[in-house]
Amino acid sequence: MNGNGTNAEPEIRIGVFVCDCGLNIAGVVDTVAVAEYAKTLPDVVVVQGNKYTCADPGQNEIKRAIKEHNLNRVVVASCTPKIHEHTFRTCVAEAGLNPYLMEMANIREHCSWVHQQEKQPATRKAMDLVRSSVNRARLLQPQVEPTFPVTQAALVIGGGVAGIQAALDFADTGHQVYLVEKEPSIGGIMAAIDKTYPTMDCSI
Amino acid sequence: MSESAYFKCLRCAHEYVGEYTPKAVEEKTCPKCGSNSVRRLKSPPAEKAAG
Amino acid sequence: MMDVGRHPRIKLLTNSEVENVTGFVGNFQVSVRKKTRYIDEDACTACSECEVVCPVVVPDEYQEGFSSRKAIYIPFPQAVPSSYVLDMDNCLGTNPIACGKCADACDKDCIDYDMEDEHFDLEVGTITLATGMQPYDPTEMDEYGYTRFENVITSMEFERLICAGGPVEGHFVRPTDRKTPKSVAFIQCVGSRSVNRGVPYCSNICCMNTVKDTLLLQDHYPDLQSKVFYMDIRSFGKGFEDLYRRSKEVGVQYIRGLPGNIEEDPVTQNLYLTAENTLTGKVTTHEVDMVVLAVGLVPRQDSELIRQMLTLSPTSDGFVMEAHPKLKPVDAPTRGVYFAGCVEAPKDIKDSVTQASAAVARANILLNAGEVKIEAITSVIHEEECNYCGRCVRVCPFHAITPANKKAGLYPKVVEAACSGCGTCAAECTTDCISMRHFEDAQYYAQVDAILAEDPMEKIVAFACNWCSYAGGDNAGTSRLQYPHNVRLVRTMCSGRVDEDFIMHAFRKGAPLVLVSGCHFSDCHYIDAVTWTQQRIEKTWDKLEKMGIRPERLQLEWISAAEGQKFARVMRELEELRRRVTKEEVDNTMRILSNGFKTATKKAATKRVAAVIS
Ligand code: SF4
Ligand code: SF4
Ligand code: SF4
Ligand code: SF4
Ligand SMILES: [Zn+2]
Repeated sequence: MNGNGTNAEPEIRIGVFVCDCGLNIAGVVDTVAVAEYAKTLPDVVVVQGNKYTCADPGQNEIKRAIKEHNLNRVVVASCTPKIHEHTFRTCVAEAGLNPYLMEMANIREHCSWVHQQEKQPATRKAMDLVRSSVNRARLLQPQVEPTFPVTQAALVIGGGVAGIQAALDFADTGHQVYLVEKEPSIGGIMAAIDKTYPTMDCSI
Repeated sequence: MSESAYFKCLRCAHEYVGEYTPKAVEEKTCPKCGSNSVRRLKSPPAEKAAG
Repeated sequence: MMDVGRHPRIKLLTNSEVENVTGFVGNFQVSVRKKTRYIDEDACTACSECEVVCPVVVPDEYQEGFSSRKAIYIPFPQAVPSSYVLDMDNCLGTNPIACGKCADACDKDCIDYDMEDEHFDLEVGTITLATGMQPYDPTEMDEYGYTRFENVITSMEFERLICAGGPVEGHFVRPTDRKTPKSVAFIQCVGSRSVNRGVPYCSNICCMNTVKDTLLLQDHYPDLQSKVFYMDIRSFGKGFEDLYRRSKEVGVQYIRGLPGNIEEDPVTQNLYLTAENTLTGKVTTHEVDMVVLAVGLVPRQDSELIRQMLTLSPTSDGFVMEAHPKLKPVDAPTRGVYFAGCVEAPKDIKDSVTQASAAVARANILLNAGEVKIEAITSVIHEEECNYCGRCVRVCPFHAITPANKKAGLYPKVVEAACSGCGTCAAECTTDCISMRHFEDAQYYAQVDAILAEDPMEKIVAFACNWCSYAGGDNAGTSRLQYPHNVRLVRTMCSGRVDEDFIMHAFRKGAPLVLVSGCHFSDCHYIDAVTWTQQRIEKTWDKLEKMGIRPERLQLEWISAAEGQKFARVMRELEELRRRVTKEEVDNTMRILSNGFKTATKKAATKRVAAVIS
């Protein structure tokens, strides 16, 4: 049963990477102080600051640290996971770590950008968010993603100019397409337009 | 279908009588402050019961 | 258009609607209803014999009502498929006594009054949404007199009047006297760029459409005077400025300022527009024969249903929200779904076509890969602790758990391919024997512990669902909306994941205030998982009250990914509530919860998390 970090497991070694995001984060949050704070957290063995963690040099730092410090968990304190979770999962995977052992702390969208006038409280909040992610990271388990075959057919809903183009492109790239149109004919709004800009030619 | 019931907003403390459909789970919004922290009360609010 | 009808790999289903979508990326099951045309569309040769005999005359939608069609008709001459359709709503009646003339007239015997709707169950790997938009209806802007004055028309109606295939064969005339007008005024931004009526955004196409229209008029009728009333002319695309310049060169007057209202001369039916030219400051009244309202583009009213089937959210403008506005503009947040055309935002033909090709290129990455990996966030049932109660089976929005049967010793089973990881079953399981991969209970406790480790009185613990509330917080960030710093977000995939135990744990650890937030019911990414959240919170309020804890300290909010404003407002309100919670009150709560909270049924879970919460 996976659930918590049991004694049988090897020692947990966490690397924390605190991103400045140029001035986006560092302009409000004292990232140096956050990094210092992260060093005091349990199981954290290395902490690094980066100007842009998502850029290649930043990612290379993570990969290097994973190898050098034998890390088995990574916490990236930067932006929202909705933008870069995939980036950093791929990054740690390239360094041989299971992608599910990477955790993010959102200190940009949920911190520096929304507390621009409150630098100290924002810094304390960033510390909390890092601490929360580190605590979660300690309990992360490697996961294997289930794989499924992809049905070789495409559905296009709507037979206006966009739907028609999409259906033709799918078909011309060799795929079976279903084009579903609500009206009795395809053509949509475009079919009712006489001449179209900028070429001033006919639409149909 | 719908019945009336007592509601209390846990954000602004506004109490009101509103419609609801038993069994159907619906999004509730306080008519005064717009919060979704609206609780249906089993009995009328205290002051109304008293008065 | 013709190519679509002919292409061997395209199956065209017109007169059809998607009724249901199930499955997941790479493996969607779609059911489609094809409404009957009462005509065999393959056999029909569009010979028009039926139309000739049909006695019913109704306004023709395609010609914007400027001419009429029959109850059996072809939508427009180049229609694909090239087949007639019988409009049953207007048909007199198909039994021979009422009418039935068309069936007699058709040599090919392709009219069948008993033809029924057909159902298709499609299996597809990817879905491209290209449902488009609709033009704004300017009737509500009464000052322009649309519908009151016949010579005030919309830009869509203009298209039909100027078209060689239109009701007047391209001899542009005004509706009242069917004479070619000597002067035409165009009014821009009708329904667009207005916070009060219509829509607040710029509809993108209407400036250039008007520029094009003035050139068409100039071309056909060199003596006709066109005047364009505008706020700004947005001619930003390739070749656009050129057209705009040409339009000015041929004598079209551009007047910066929108008329306040339009009046009609009751005798001549000419129209008077009074407008201030904001460049010169002069107020002038203009008399014209005809007015064209350049109407904006708005989201389709009927798109709500399909949006919900694909679990898509709208942005604040009502169009669909992309996976990322800059970096993934044609991907939907729902994997395997892509956008093409105006369903995403108003755009012209060139941009629609570009986006369609982009969507196909993105979708082909998936199709060509041949297989797809699903995020490892599915649920796992620990059978040894299951008591066969079947609650998980009932609550799962995706029917992803097969029924339990105590007599047969059958435990419920998670069908991994169908589980989308909402976590509702884990939160609702009566023995807490379901865990979520990558989103374990213990991991949540660990996060809450970390947040409350220092100065707990200062913190608000907020559980926010990945798709809406968490993203709403991101939206507040992107828009730089400032709010108090006390809140700490804990991300869950769905608000349905938030176990009552998580909430109690936060209170036990000294949280003054807890927020649970998720998607609006209509936006829920897990069908109706959010209704379980609502019910659970209501129960928890009752429970808190019984225990002597103020229910107000548990707050609930539905915040969409586009509602950054609401997110910031809620955060401000919560901070006010937090300030009213006293240390004494929190101490009291901690005492209450550390005594009696670990109930017997929760033994298993307690054991699993004991290591972390100690
Ligand atoms: S008469 Fe028959 S073949 Fe001719 S248009 Fe009508 S339905 Fe089609
Ligand atoms: S394109 Fe032009 S007319 Fe249309 S809304 Fe934008 S500014 Fe107004
Ligand atoms: S996690 Fe959600 S989708 Fe998966 S089995 Fe449980 S209730 Fe169903
Ligand atoms: S809810 Fe829990 S105890 Fe009940 S059947 Fe499902 S897994 Fe078993
Ligand atoms: Zn309220």
